[in-house]
Amino acid sequence: MNLYEFCYGIIHWLVDLINHLWYWLGSWLPWWFGDFFDAAGDLAASHGNIVVFTILLEVLVILIIAVVNVLNFIWIDRKFMGRMFDFYGPYYVGYRIGGWLQNIADGIKLFVKEIITPAKADKIGFYLGPVIFVSSSFLALSTIPLGRNFGIATNPSGLGVPASALMAFAFFAIAPFAILISGWSSNNKYTLIGGMRSAAQMMSYEIPMLLTVASVFLLAGSFDFMDIVSAQHDIWFAIPLALGFLIFLVCLVAEVEIQPFDLPEAEAELVEGWTTEYSGMRFGFFMMTSYLRGYIGGALATALFLGGWHGPSLIPEPIWFLIKAYIVFVVIEWMRWSTPRVRVDQLLNIGWNRLMPLAMLNLLIAASMKTMGWF
Amino acid sequence: MAPKKRQSTFGFVLRPMRRTGGQVWESLIVGKPNTVLYPYQKLDLPPTYRGKHTLDFKRCIGCGNCVQICPNDCMWMEKLEDPELGKIERPGVDMGRCLFCGFCVEVCPTVAIHETVEFELADGDRERIKFGPKELRDDAYSDKIVEERQKRSVPVLDLDKCTGCEKCAGECPEICIAMMPIESVGRSKPEIALPKCTACGKCVVECPEKALTMKDMYESYFEMPEPKFILKNCTGCSACAKACPADAIYMMEMPGTEKLLKDGKKSKPKKRAVFVLEKCVGCGKCFRACKFNSIEMPGVKK
Amino acid sequence: MWINMGPQHPMTHGLWNLRIKVDGETIVDAEPEVGYLHRGIEKLCEDRTYTQIIPIADRLCYGSSLTWSHLYCMTVENLMGIEVPPRAEYIRVASIEMQRIASHLMWLAAYAVDLGAMIGFIYTMRDREVFIDLLQALTGSRITYNFPRIGGVAHDIPPNFERDSLRACDYMEKKLKEYEDLFDGSKVFMMRNQGVGVFRKEDAMNLGVTGPPLRGSGVKYDLRKDMPYSVYPEMDFEPATHPDCDCYARYRVRMDEMYESCRIIRQAVQKMPKGKWRTVAPRNAPSGTGLGRVEDPRGEGMMYVVGDGTDRPYRLKIRSPIFVTVSAAKKMLVGYKVADVVAIMGGLDMCIGETDR
Repeated sequence: MNLYEFCYGIIHWLVDLINHLWYWLGSWLPWWFGDFFDAAGDLAASHGNIVVFTILLEVLVILIIAVVNVLNFIWIDRKFMGRMFDFYGPYYVGYRIGGWLQNIADGIKLFVKEIITPAKADKIGFYLGPVIFVSSSFLALSTIPLGRNFGIATNPSGLGVPASALMAFAFFAIAPFAILISGWSSNNKYTLIGGMRSAAQMMSYEIPMLLTVASVFLLAGSFDFMDIVSAQHDIWFAIPLALGFLIFLVCLVAEVEIQPFDLPEAEAELVEGWTTEYSGMRFGFFMMTSYLRGYIGGALATALFLGGWHGPSLIPEPIWFLIKAYIVFVVIEWMRWSTPRVRVDQLLNIGWNRLMPLAMLNLLIAASMKTMGWF
Repeated sequence: MAPKKRQSTFGFVLRPMRRTGGQVWESLIVGKPNTVLYPYQKLDLPPTYRGKHTLDFKRCIGCGNCVQICPNDCMWMEKLEDPELGKIERPGVDMGRCLFCGFCVEVCPTVAIHETVEFELADGDRERIKFGPKELRDDAYSDKIVEERQKRSVPVLDLDKCTGCEKCAGECPEICIAMMPIESVGRSKPEIALPKCTACGKCVVECPEKALTMKDMYESYFEMPEPKFILKNCTGCSACAKACPADAIYMMEMPGTEKLLKDGKKSKPKKRAVFVLEKCVGCGKCFRACKFNSIEMPGVKK
Repeated sequence: MWINMGPQHPMTHGLWNLRIKVDGETIVDAEPEVGYLHRGIEKLCEDRTYTQIIPIADRLCYGSSLTWSHLYCMTVENLMGIEVPPRAEYIRVASIEMQRIASHLMWLAAYAVDLGAMIGFIYTMRDREVFIDLLQALTGSRITYNFPRIGGVAHDIPPNFERDSLRACDYMEKKLKEYEDLFDGSKVFMMRNQGVGVFRKEDAMNLGVTGPPLRGSGVKYDLRKDMPYSVYPEMDFEPATHPDCDCYARYRVRMDEMYESCRIIRQAVQKMPKGKWRTVAPRNAPSGTGLGRVEDPRGEGMMYVVGDGTDRPYRLKIRSPIFVTVSAAKKMLVGYKVADVVAIMGGLDMCIGETDR
């Protein structure tokens, strides 16, 4: 059974319950209320109404899954980093469960901090920057299905988009706009430099990433996640397109601004990059979205290259998908803490001069495999 | 010299990743991370560590050498009344200024002040970390630790009992005792050259008045200033003898200085101060006590 | 456009200001400004006795403090004409080389974290703890030791010191190979360091630069070999040089110096003679002058003391190596990008305590 049908069933049951209560209440009222009551009851129980609430429930489900995954990612990041650095990581908060509640503690701390807006900042841009950043990332997340029956905005579940992979990448790529707006409207020389550098970095690494993804579309024959994953049922795309997988990982690291490519963010020259002037939960949003984009990248890599939810059927499919996404994330984290930062001109050099020809080569390989009829 | 490593494309991330991966293996699976979970676990510090001071009231003679040698002026002498020891002067330490250099420990002639391994001294108020002598008092500390300074036994002279009979100088096998005349007193007193003394104890046995006793003295590597006595200005007020913490100054009468008083009687003879410099610790209290400029101590402030 | 990097800046270790003139991203001119940490140490020393100055000399450069108090004691021993017992000399040499390793490890920590590899910071600080613990067992303190005295050292070595120092040297050599994998074997690190901050041999010699920046430009000049002091003539080691004149050469010189220091520690600890470790120094110094020169981890340090017969010095003059090396910043920085400032100035290992005194 589909996620959509599941949520429809729940909302239907709930609306039925409320409707019974409503009519029972209506029977106690005088006759001149009766018509109005009946009309309201019918409207509430109509199909369109239930669909609206179903969509809201699905949105709630995706929010909860995303936030829980982000909290898990931050916890794994800090624990893994801790063991790599020869210390414990979060330890005391949530002592028995390995310090998982530290994230909640940090969230509460960020909530109670004072939110300061610089006096000369551009108000609209300053407020809208985090909003665009967070909302575009959640939109990208909604198009990725976690299992055959666990998709939200995918087509078989009804009311989805037909080309979900393309939409995911489109939403993912809105982020440079948000960064530029935030960096510029803070009225700070250094955040402006950070924002410009970040936008340049993200733009120059979009192109090899999309070329690699194009080769996957070529092999799978469609733009939809369901078709891509089912085309990988006997062999994962990471094996014939190994070069593409590596390029995709490198571009992912550059998109999410993780070392060795985190120049705009944590440089020794610019204090915190384009997020310097943000405080309180706004800063918390940026941090959360940074890890959320890491999760989205891992989920995309899993769906496109690592076979999605295919695996032995002991474990339910969404869990298998999440395990693969976590493994991709752990490998990225391992890479993150081992290398120094790349200088900005060397970064752009790598993006344009080295990765783009390799991505073209990958596309050629995919095209040749398709013509030879192997896929 | 180490050879230059060749970096290929693997050198981008893979070679450093091998090292960090090895570290994760060691901290997670093979053993534990290298962290001390302070404050639930604490480190063991070596005994030479310099932390908070302790003071042994019984050994301290109140000379004030520690106060003078402190590079940062963090110590002061406090006058106290102790039930057993009477009126004494003991030092206190201001931990806010203390450098934890350990000079006060090294210069103390009786090894009365020590530095323990206690380092958790932080407080919210500057006044509370000024530790007076009563807060630093720990008379049993010296028994708990292994003493580092070398001890030697030396014969110590009590000039009140000495008659100048010169027996000690005759019996000493190393010839380290010389009888020096005391000006205007008409007697001589024995001066012991400490570098030559082997602590055989013969002079102690031979002295008929038991004026020499063997005492343990701690080696000091600091050369302390010595007082120079000017006889002309001495009035015999005995302020220096009362001030000296090491009992190194004795007041002796100068025969031939009696004056004839108006009613025919003779006055008492004038006294002068006599220094037994082997006992001197160089604290400068005599210098500060004398109001008639008869003691000179170069380098010490008034 | 002149940009001010500092005095409050996460990159500049210590309190100094670097003004650079940029044209786009390229540096056209540079001007370092020091003096924000001036504490008046030379004036302080005129009012204290010779023994009381030893903890003050420790605090000149808090990164490698044993070198400076040892230099001060050498200078005053030169003035007073005292002979130090041989056991004290060996203990001094062993502790100075341990301090050199600890100082270079701290430099590596700051350098790595500026370039972005925080892993370098954590690993080097963890390994530095090994040497700081050894020095803590020997002297009683972790950073400002107050250990050398005029006429020797403060006290004798603790039990098991020889066994522990040999173990520490073995551990350090194993870890140095690990650092080579982490840094030399990482292409990103090499990309940021090779070809950056080229400092030619003639410029280095003309500007009076000493220490690893000079040896990284190919000049083989080490005071421990050319004007030996203490018991260095009896130690067998090679000063480290490197022919490329860039940041990578300066990094490599310091790593090789750590290997050589391990060698020296082994020899000093095993050859230590028995005997006294301290002689009594006279309280009043004769009228005259005394000079001491030493190879600090950052260059050549020198002290000059004028005595006037009392127990306080008349004048103490300190020559700091970084004060001279930082004036060569302009030659090293012009022509490179703003992002290279971190690598270049980090490679000089600036400790502002000794620069400003």
